[in-house]
Amino acid sequence: MSESKKNSVTPSRRDFLAVSAGVAAFTIVPRHVLGGQGQTPPSESFGGALIGCGGRGGATFRGLGHNVRRLASCDVKYKHRVDNKIFYTDFRKVLERKDIDVVAIATPPGWHALISIAAMEAGKDVLCEKPMTRFIGEGRAVAEAEKRYGRIYQIGTYGRFGSNRKIRKIFESGLLKGKKLESVMVQRGGKKVKMWSGMVRYDVRDVPENLDWDMYCGPAPLREFNAHRFGGTHRGYWDYDGGGLGDMAHHALDRLCYDYARDLTSAVEIIPHAPPAHPEACGMWGWCEFKYADGFTFVLDSGEWGDAYDRLKDQKTSESDLRGLLSAEEQKKLDALPDLEPLVKFPEAIRTRRQAGGHAAASHRVSTIYHLANVAFRAGRPIRFDPETDQVIGDEEANRIVHQPMRSPWRI
Amino acid sequence: MAASEQLKKLVAELPAADGRGMYTAGMDKAKIEKTIAAIHGGGPANVEGLVDLLGEAGSEENVKPHYALHCLANHALQVKDEKARRGLCETLAKQLTSNRSQSIKAYLCQELGWAGREEALAPLGALLTDDSLCVPAAMALVGIRKGAAEQFRLAWPKAKGSARRHIMDGLAELAEAKSLSVLTEGLKDDDREVRIAAAAGLANIGDPTAVELLVAADKAPVGWERTQMASNHLKLAEHLAASGKQSDATRVYKHLQKSRTDATEKYLRDAAERGLKALA
Repeated sequence: MSESKKNSVTPSRRDFLAVSAGVAAFTIVPRHVLGGQGQTPPSESFGGALIGCGGRGGATFRGLGHNVRRLASCDVKYKHRVDNKIFYTDFRKVLERKDIDVVAIATPPGWHALISIAAMEAGKDVLCEKPMTRFIGEGRAVAEAEKRYGRIYQIGTYGRFGSNRKIRKIFESGLLKGKKLESVMVQRGGKKVKMWSGMVRYDVRDVPENLDWDMYCGPAPLREFNAHRFGGTHRGYWDYDGGGLGDMAHHALDRLCYDYARDLTSAVEIIPHAPPAHPEACGMWGWCEFKYADGFTFVLDSGEWGDAYDRLKDQKTSESDLRGLLSAEEQKKLDALPDLEPLVKFPEAIRTRRQAGGHAAASHRVSTIYHLANVAFRAGRPIRFDPETDQVIGDEEANRIVHQPMRSPWRI
Repeated sequence: MAASEQLKKLVAELPAADGRGMYTAGMDKAKIEKTIAAIHGGGPANVEGLVDLLGEAGSEENVKPHYALHCLANHALQVKDEKARRGLCETLAKQLTSNRSQSIKAYLCQELGWAGREEALAPLGALLTDDSLCVPAAMALVGIRKGAAEQFRLAWPKAKGSARRHIMDGLAELAEAKSLSVLTEGLKDDDREVRIAAAAGLANIGDPTAVELLVAADKAPVGWERTQMASNHLKLAEHLAASGKQSDATRVYKHLQKSRTDATEKYLRDAAERGLKALA
């Protein structure tokens, strides 16, 4: 979790202006002063902050674009260097700064939604590492904040940007409406299930002096310190993440969800196969089926526990399979439609105020897939889901995993 | 009640932590489920026996009974055995007043939050004024939701210190109209977090009487509280609009337009403007 020199804080545009104010009588109006959609900023330089400086932090910050200057770095392990000018341990103080326009978030995922929402409430644009959320209820709240505040939001994974958009075009045309799909897509492996399991037997230790453990735990229960809960291995605990699924699934699903328009809705029936889950430690699972109302089925097969998935076979997912569902006349209509525009990347989005490709509403639907898997694994039973309300149907206790309580003062 | 030898034998059949201290090996679904079903068949005595076997967090002795108790609670939900679920939760709730350690009681709160219903409300509510257990109790109550707000309202007059934040947050999250007077009181609290939670609760309830209350409480000139208050204003307006109270929503949006005049708050004026347009 140590920060490299490459990621060290550099003098900001604001600092530079402050120093040069007595020398040069010019003013660059910062973007945050103009703000809002439709504004053409005279300066394309943005003030940025990185919240969560370990692990992926430096790379996430660079994803903001070359014209973002790092003015603040915030991490709960900075107790020894906090000055509330450059180094912070409390993200709220960072968000109070008016010179910060954009925020990169690379904390453990238990914080992603809360900081994303708080940043947008403070008028900042956000690039947030995946997964966007720790549970489904958070996703809806982030998407609502994105819309409420008109902010740019991008999740830190870019699979969808590699799409050729042809399959997406078929779905977006609306021509498949009312047709029953028989598509099955089985995705095997790559979820790091064993790697990102939590410990069920561990040593309780003293909290390191430089660590604000209360802020690290944040909305999760304030448990006794166990070194495995801190750093990259946080992924193994339901308090902060969702195991290998939380870590890896967004990568694997982002493009598929874009291509097959699974980022516009959610599955309605989820069938899990896993041993009984531990209450705190993420653990093993075999596979999970996700059935959509239009007949599409996704399957995630971990390949790390139990027999390989063999209930359904991959089928009918190619462009020609899907075109084949259309009549000759419908195919003509499809071909007459303009091709879809390339998705907008974050640096362009903050300049043009156009929605970023991996925006919150879409990312919420992507993350809902693997969160639903974890709900079903933890509940140990199949569930039915209502994509309109984001609620499990007829299962009060499973809904407690869909919308989880938070430790005060944190709330969504 | 001490755990029976038969229960100990069943618990011993559950997986042990592997070399890394994890549950990544020997996770035999059928065997675990069979063992849990057998423990379930032993009724309330086995629940109490399992609690008795619990050790301190992280310890070797805790691994199997800790897992077993959670699986047992979940098993009752899976097989929809309401009598067993209720019996299990009543047994766990009774243990909250025992002399067991704080970490074990916190775990019992967590399991009540997982499987508890009305039988868990009052025992958890009694912990809301207990400094060491108010957090797990509050989280469990918010998880249960149904009927839980009453416990927060009952605890509020007696609460001191940080427990007050947890209680006000619980009321905010559960957002019941019956909580309006307590939330209104919270708006004037000396503790910033209590004030913000109270405003969030009023926004979530979406009652028109909250308009003047939130406007009057919107005093912070800068910083976290100011952005949180703006957020609560916008949420209140959305709730009012959704329930057809357009003129009340308009008052909230106009307040934001008038009060957020700094150049850096343009995004809030824009948000209010979008809200007003949506009302038209």
